[in-house]
Amino acid sequence: MTKSSFRTVLSASTMALCAAMALPALAQDADIKIGLVSPNSGANARYGSFAQRGAALAAKEINEAGGIDGRMIEIFPADSVCTPVEGVSATQRLINQNEVDFIIGDICSSVTLAMQPLVEDAKVVLVNAASSNPQITYQAGVGGYKYSFRNYPTDEVRALSIAKYAAEKGLTKLAVLSVDSDYGRGAIDFTKKYIDDLGVTLVSEDYYKEGEVDFRSVLTKVRKSDAQAILMYGLADTTPIIARQMIEAGLAGKLPLLGNGEFSAAATIEAAPKAMDGAIEAAAWLPAYDSEGSKAFVAAYEAAYDGEEPNNHAYGHWETLHLLAQAIDDADSIDADAVVAALEAISFESPMGTITFDDHHQAIRPLLLLEIEDNAPVVTGSVTGAVTYADN
Amino acid sequence: MYFLLEQILNGVSSGAVYAIVAVGMTMIFGVMRAINFAHGEYYMIGTFGGWYATSALGLPYPAAILFGVAVTIVIAYVIGKFVMQRMIGAPVEASVVATLGVSLVLQNTAILIFGGSYKFFSAGYIEPVFFGDVGIAQQRLLIILVCILVFLGLELMVGFTRMGKTIRAVSQNIEACEVVGIDVKKVVMTTFILGTALAGFSGILTAPVNVSVYGGMGEIITFKTLPIIVMGGLGNVRGTLAAAMILGIAESLVAGHFGLQYRDSVGFITLILMLLWRPHGLFSSRARF
Repeated sequence: MTKSSFRTVLSASTMALCAAMALPALAQDADIKIGLVSPNSGANARYGSFAQRGAALAAKEINEAGGIDGRMIEIFPADSVCTPVEGVSATQRLINQNEVDFIIGDICSSVTLAMQPLVEDAKVVLVNAASSNPQITYQAGVGGYKYSFRNYPTDEVRALSIAKYAAEKGLTKLAVLSVDSDYGRGAIDFTKKYIDDLGVTLVSEDYYKEGEVDFRSVLTKVRKSDAQAILMYGLADTTPIIARQMIEAGLAGKLPLLGNGEFSAAATIEAAPKAMDGAIEAAAWLPAYDSEGSKAFVAAYEAAYDGEEPNNHAYGHWETLHLLAQAIDDADSIDADAVVAALEAISFESPMGTITFDDHHQAIRPLLLLEIEDNAPVVTGSVTGAVTYADN
Repeated sequence: MYFLLEQILNGVSSGAVYAIVAVGMTMIFGVMRAINFAHGEYYMIGTFGGWYATSALGLPYPAAILFGVAVTIVIAYVIGKFVMQRMIGAPVEASVVATLGVSLVLQNTAILIFGGSYKFFSAGYIEPVFFGDVGIAQQRLLIILVCILVFLGLELMVGFTRMGKTIRAVSQNIEACEVVGIDVKKVVMTTFILGTALAGFSGILTAPVNVSVYGGMGEIITFKTLPIIVMGGLGNVRGTLAAAMILGIAESLVAGHFGLQYRDSVGFITLILMLLWRPHGLFSSRARF
């Protein structure tokens, strides 16, 4: 090789290298923008922080593996404060200013219900990863909103399986103590739909506001009634308060809690072990869930966030971003209609089993039944999330 | 019957908490003619102090009470020095804006230091004691007992000590106090620290039963306190105790008989009715100011 020809090769390869290095920069121009709406301030900020962290972990994993066909994922966080008003303006900002391609959100059912008409008008795909009010998917897919999907169990399935479980255990008289929101009231409405057939009755109904700290009067009333268990669709942060005051009211160990509200979280059990013992919860996921993928997620999450134990919203948003990424990959496009078709046809292998969507865009995925025994959650069963859409 | 008795007992225990917080606020109003909108924040600081002492320092609950009150006093001293002392003789609007500002600063400082998530307070004595069929947690009995002691102490102090007499003098006429050589600044400062320390104290006392600890927890307390000090007659210590008990019992009965969702409306309805019919309180025949 002559000196000059060596030079030519050298310069050519340098140029090629430069071009190769410039490629990621080009690809960045075409990042896939995903808006993530969650309550990042206010009484439910804890949920939002888990959601943002779970999704950020998934985005990092996808990007490190080369993105979706070389396109990186960029997350745009938005704060809903868990109120429909804030959630709607956060969603509008994502659509109009950030011009996001997809939206994941919200956690609070009231906000998600308010977001659905917005994304429908803007033709932006919304995948919900944490709201459980049944109405959300009653009005999605063939029910109306074409661009709304939900990858989370609905309270209809949850209400039915909890009511059934209660009936099987002989707990036929329940006192309701739920949060005053579309989630808390919705779950109880759907419970009422099924309890007559199961022979279960509700002896009292109380709904608490976010941030409520004094449950004594209600718990006293419950103690005087003939209730056998407390049916609660509540907020994770309030569960320890109620549990502690159950000890005070002399209810701990006598009336188990039934429903949902992170009964299985270590901090909750620690705050009032006596009251939480025997609590029965229907949850989408829990850190102790025994599968290889789930264990790997917990390890990756704890490594990324200073050993913080993830909750089911961290898992849900992590999983949902991976699911959405697969749908975009299947569609080979970020076109909303193509991704809707891909989501409708998806068969996603999650750590909790294969996930598909029904014609109402509701994920068919397992719901876990667990019971707190000796200060630790034990999975006692699992129901598939198929919904029969009755006339609503 | 027992049910009613138990609901009243519940009401008395929440009334006792309201009373300890409200009496501080009403005394501060007495000497400064200013509503301290940051009052709930001292309740929050006390609770955080107690929570930090038990969960991070591993102190037993009684020591945590001392620690929390000490932290509240230190912060109150700084704020008293830099903000509250300047409010003497300032227009009313100045103190409204200043205390609202202090409230935001304190809330957000707590959130910056400890994060926005809820913390759980797991110390204290929550096992119930039963009198026949009526049950109540030991901690709530403690709160009621402490409330009685606090009010006895305040009565004695206001009636018989020099400090109490100067507090009364300053709340009646600042100019005259200055003429006779009472150090108004010192009296304001002492009252402010005493009032906020009581709020912090009450925060740690209730933490075992209210469980959650977070930056914004003081707001609710401030708004519960407002109807009480209006009902009791601004600046009136005995009136505050009676008003706090009335509100506590009324809330408890409403929650027990109509449902928890209606409880918080009691305070606000009371406030509206009071402002309409007896704006100087239930117990004063006429306004003093």
